[in-house]
Amino acid sequence: MFSRFFSRVGLLATPILALVVAGCSKADMNVRQSTLDPKGPVAQVQYDVFMDTVWLVVVLFALVGGLLVYAVIKFRARPGDENAPRIEEGHGNPLVEIGLITASIGALVIIAIPTLSAIWYDDDVPDAAVPTSKLAAWYPRVEGAKENYAKVVEEQVLEIDVIGKQWWFRFEYPQFGLTNDNKRSVPNEFVIPKGKAVRINLRSEDVIHSFWIPKIAGKVDLMPGRKNHMWIQGDEVGHYYGQCAEFCGDSHAYMLFRVEVVEPAEFAKWVQKQKTDSQPVAAGSKAETGKALFGTKTCVMCHNINGNPMAAGAFAPDLTHVASRKSLAGAWLDNRDPKAQLALEQKDKNTESSVAVDNAVLKANLIKWIGSSGVATGADGKPTKDVKPGNRMHFYKMFNVAGLNETQQKFTDHELDCLAEYLLTLK
Amino acid sequence: MSHDSHHAPVASKLELAPERSDLGLLRPDRTTGWSDWLTTVDHKKIGILYGAFAMFYFLVGGVEALAIRTQLIRPDNDFVTARMYNQLFTMHGTTMIFLGVMPLSAAFFNFLVPLQIGARDVAFPRLNAFSLWTFVFGAFVLNASWLFEFGHLAGWFNNFEWHKNLVYTDFAPANGWFSYAPLSGTFGQADASLHAPRFTGVGTDFWIIGIQVLGIASLAASFNFICTIINMRAKGMTMMRLPVFTWMTLVTAILIILAFPAITVALIELMFDRAFGANFFNPSAGGQPILWQHLFWIFGHPEVYILVLPAMGIVSEILPTFSGKSLFGYPIIVFSGAVIGFLGFAVWSHHMFTTGLGPVPTAAFSLLTMAIAVPTGVKIFNWLGTIWGGRVRFTPPMVLSLGFIWMFMCGGFSGVMHSSAPADAQQQDSYFVIAHFHYVLLGGVLLGLMAGLYFWFPKIFGRMPNATVAYIASGMVILGFNLAFGPMHYLGLAGQPRRTHTYHAGFGWETWNFVATIGAYILGLGVFISFVNLVWTAFKGKKCASDPWDGRTLEWSLPSPVPEYNFAQAPVIAARDAFFEDKHGGKRIGFENDGGEAGVHMPSQSWMPLLASAGFLFAGFGMPMMAMGVPHAGWIVITGLGVLIVGIWLWALEGPGGYMLKTPAVAGSPAPTETAAH
Repeated sequence: MFSRFFSRVGLLATPILALVVAGCSKADMNVRQSTLDPKGPVAQVQYDVFMDTVWLVVVLFALVGGLLVYAVIKFRARPGDENAPRIEEGHGNPLVEIGLITASIGALVIIAIPTLSAIWYDDDVPDAAVPTSKLAAWYPRVEGAKENYAKVVEEQVLEIDVIGKQWWFRFEYPQFGLTNDNKRSVPNEFVIPKGKAVRINLRSEDVIHSFWIPKIAGKVDLMPGRKNHMWIQGDEVGHYYGQCAEFCGDSHAYMLFRVEVVEPAEFAKWVQKQKTDSQPVAAGSKAETGKALFGTKTCVMCHNINGNPMAAGAFAPDLTHVASRKSLAGAWLDNRDPKAQLALEQKDKNTESSVAVDNAVLKANLIKWIGSSGVATGADGKPTKDVKPGNRMHFYKMFNVAGLNETQQKFTDHELDCLAEYLLTLK
Repeated sequence: MSHDSHHAPVASKLELAPERSDLGLLRPDRTTGWSDWLTTVDHKKIGILYGAFAMFYFLVGGVEALAIRTQLIRPDNDFVTARMYNQLFTMHGTTMIFLGVMPLSAAFFNFLVPLQIGARDVAFPRLNAFSLWTFVFGAFVLNASWLFEFGHLAGWFNNFEWHKNLVYTDFAPANGWFSYAPLSGTFGQADASLHAPRFTGVGTDFWIIGIQVLGIASLAASFNFICTIINMRAKGMTMMRLPVFTWMTLVTAILIILAFPAITVALIELMFDRAFGANFFNPSAGGQPILWQHLFWIFGHPEVYILVLPAMGIVSEILPTFSGKSLFGYPIIVFSGAVIGFLGFAVWSHHMFTTGLGPVPTAAFSLLTMAIAVPTGVKIFNWLGTIWGGRVRFTPPMVLSLGFIWMFMCGGFSGVMHSSAPADAQQQDSYFVIAHFHYVLLGGVLLGLMAGLYFWFPKIFGRMPNATVAYIASGMVILGFNLAFGPMHYLGLAGQPRRTHTYHAGFGWETWNFVATIGAYILGLGVFISFVNLVWTAFKGKKCASDPWDGRTLEWSLPSPVPEYNFAQAPVIAARDAFFEDKHGGKRIGFENDGGEAGVHMPSQSWMPLLASAGFLFAGFGMPMMAMGVPHAGWIVITGLGVLIVGIWLWALEGPGGYMLKTPAVAGSPAPTETAAH
């Protein structure tokens, strides 16, 4: 029976071991949200501590697991044992017990020390990083220019306010006046300068969310009623993926975001661009029809578009530059050509490379997103399949002061086309 | 009065003359069949009922788990909606913890503790029945939310007037087993009817009242077991001679009594937020959502040890039995169990490392969490020491116990990894955590409980489960489990967050999610086969001897199945591992002369515990309906509480009753070789 049992265990163990080995291949270590491929000091420190625990555990596992296997094999019952005399009883050995307890405590001290040092390191921007990261040290200050920042903040590091809502993130750069109050906030995708420490202020407007960019920093929660903070730094230029990591309701899985790490000069250009308004649309174009629909279908109640005076809502994502972003709908819909993107990732052997926005994909996404969200039933009379169930565009009744009935809320295919054409002009 | 009406000793309760209680109602002592099971106060029958309900809910929770895994088998799948997925994982977690593992542990407590300490029943047999039925009704209220959900999906409720008040129409809870406020609570200002707007629907109200009722069941049972273990031990059964399983029961019961009040308070606060416009957790009215997390986890972390200590106790009984030698370091195992229980109250904030506690509390809880690895490690070392130098016999319970040690060790190791707060910042709420606690709770606790089932089934039913089927099923469980949860370590480190109903292709998660789902199917099938094997055994299995394993503790000295009076004569214990010493050592079990010819005094059966518990059924249905805005639903709650009070009142007034049962003469019962002098 014994050998049969062990051949069974062996049969089970072999494929598992093979799978584990296959799972550890290098190619899988740098997937888009890998924590094993840190690209910033915070994630790096967290990775280092993690690897300390891994090595400790591997050693302990080999020791204890090895002893267990050895004991089970060595001390197995053998034929004839039934008649053997009773085993001499031992009730434990105090020296062995104390030795093992001491050794366990010693092993834990090995990981306790890096843990403590990393806890304080991760908490806030380290003093050592401030001289090179403060705005005065790297941001081009141009007297009187529009993109300038106030003199009082130049000794500060860059600060970004992250505001969580069901189910998208809003990013604000108060030092540059890019805030929701100024109608200049940035939804879903934000940008940080390479190699500079950035302080993140975490706020929530409804439930608890959590801010997680695995390659740049572990997560910290956005707690309503509390003011949490963290710091991040991206050391390599690229396009990084993040996701809400605290269950926050129906569409929690769709609450994603992106961060672009760029050279400091690029960052300044980006800030300047966020302060520009949208361009006028051509007369008689589909886009002009779409712009009118943006008003009559009550989109303007919630969304802001600088350059469209009607659109001054403060609840929903700012759409002034919606067509320049690589993702839509809480970063769930990707506006890039998926095949080209995967081909680039394979060619560059990293997942931070990114192709540009593909207008055809973007337009399809806009139609899919708006077409599913505004109404409870589609053209065929069946309930629409939401891209994001529970999203607030579905709650038109709550904000519909224009008094549209459900039929008036619905879009025809032509109207959707026109609306998408308008949004495509918002570069 | 009731003492005057004692019957003469009878050989079977069916021979009893009809007897009326102090209230003038007929006592259900002579019943058989369904009403016998509904009115029973016999700890063994109550244990079997706990076990049957637990196994049923294990299957329910398992189906929920398989639906979850099916949804995740490929990216962008639409097997279930986002809402349904959230309901599935909420109910999967809640069901497995409160309706699967806890009652299965309670089944072992009930069946074994009186037998192991040489008692004829628990201290309060009717309270024990009350615990059982309260659990049953609480579980039913919780799962009734599914019935409402399916009714809603079928369109049954769309014509009711109150339906227009439902902005959120989730009838089954979709707030996670942790129910973090404010998602589970309210926001904004309450209206004139004291209803503030909410993020989730009536499912959360079902969840709140269901957990509250289950907590009452657990608390009542825990007081009962503490009283039983402290007071009802046989002569000579000193605390340091208690079987380890009984010790772990005691520690678990104390943990329940200390931990559940925290969740009780939190649930009442949340209920008041939702039903009466209180603002405990409403941030827009100055409430603090973080308070919920503290209250929940100061219950929730000890809860982990409430789940795991009984399984540790079971394994600590099985390993010595099949190693042919006594437990290595018995005092240290007992002491480390108590230390785990104590430290379990000092680590709750490690569930909250990402909530912005600040560096000092984070560091403190990080170190305390590491510290709890020490007593856990001690247990593993001592189990190893038990095998060392023994003669290991391979049987289904032994193989499952070894599986328990192995899987629990893996779960403990990943636990050490996220005791380090900075590493945890990457792992929290990712699949790595799912892998960790399933290794502890499924690879650990479920294997331990299954080992216990295979170990004690011959004692419970006098029939031996089929070993070949047991091996095949256990093999499938262990293989499927590792295939399902092993890859999740990688998925978590690759950045896949928990509680997300779908994911895109291109993130590198496709392969391992597919593998995990296949593993889950194998695991589910293995558990199902195992349960079928056990149920079949209970009715049709091969009859076996009363001591098939060469058992060590007192229960193996009894016939199988155990007679309703347990011990014909009260035993007198002379050693730890009393029965093993009786068989192989010099220290025989003695017997007290407790007037055997007069028979054994048996407690009367009663309808009152069932009646009192039924009050929770009404209150449990009424409370969510009230929160839903159903008119006059508050009266259902009041009716339910009235039934509860009336039930307890009648219970108090009916008198204890009881009758005398003749027992066979104990063959050659020797005079005690060593009297209890400790």
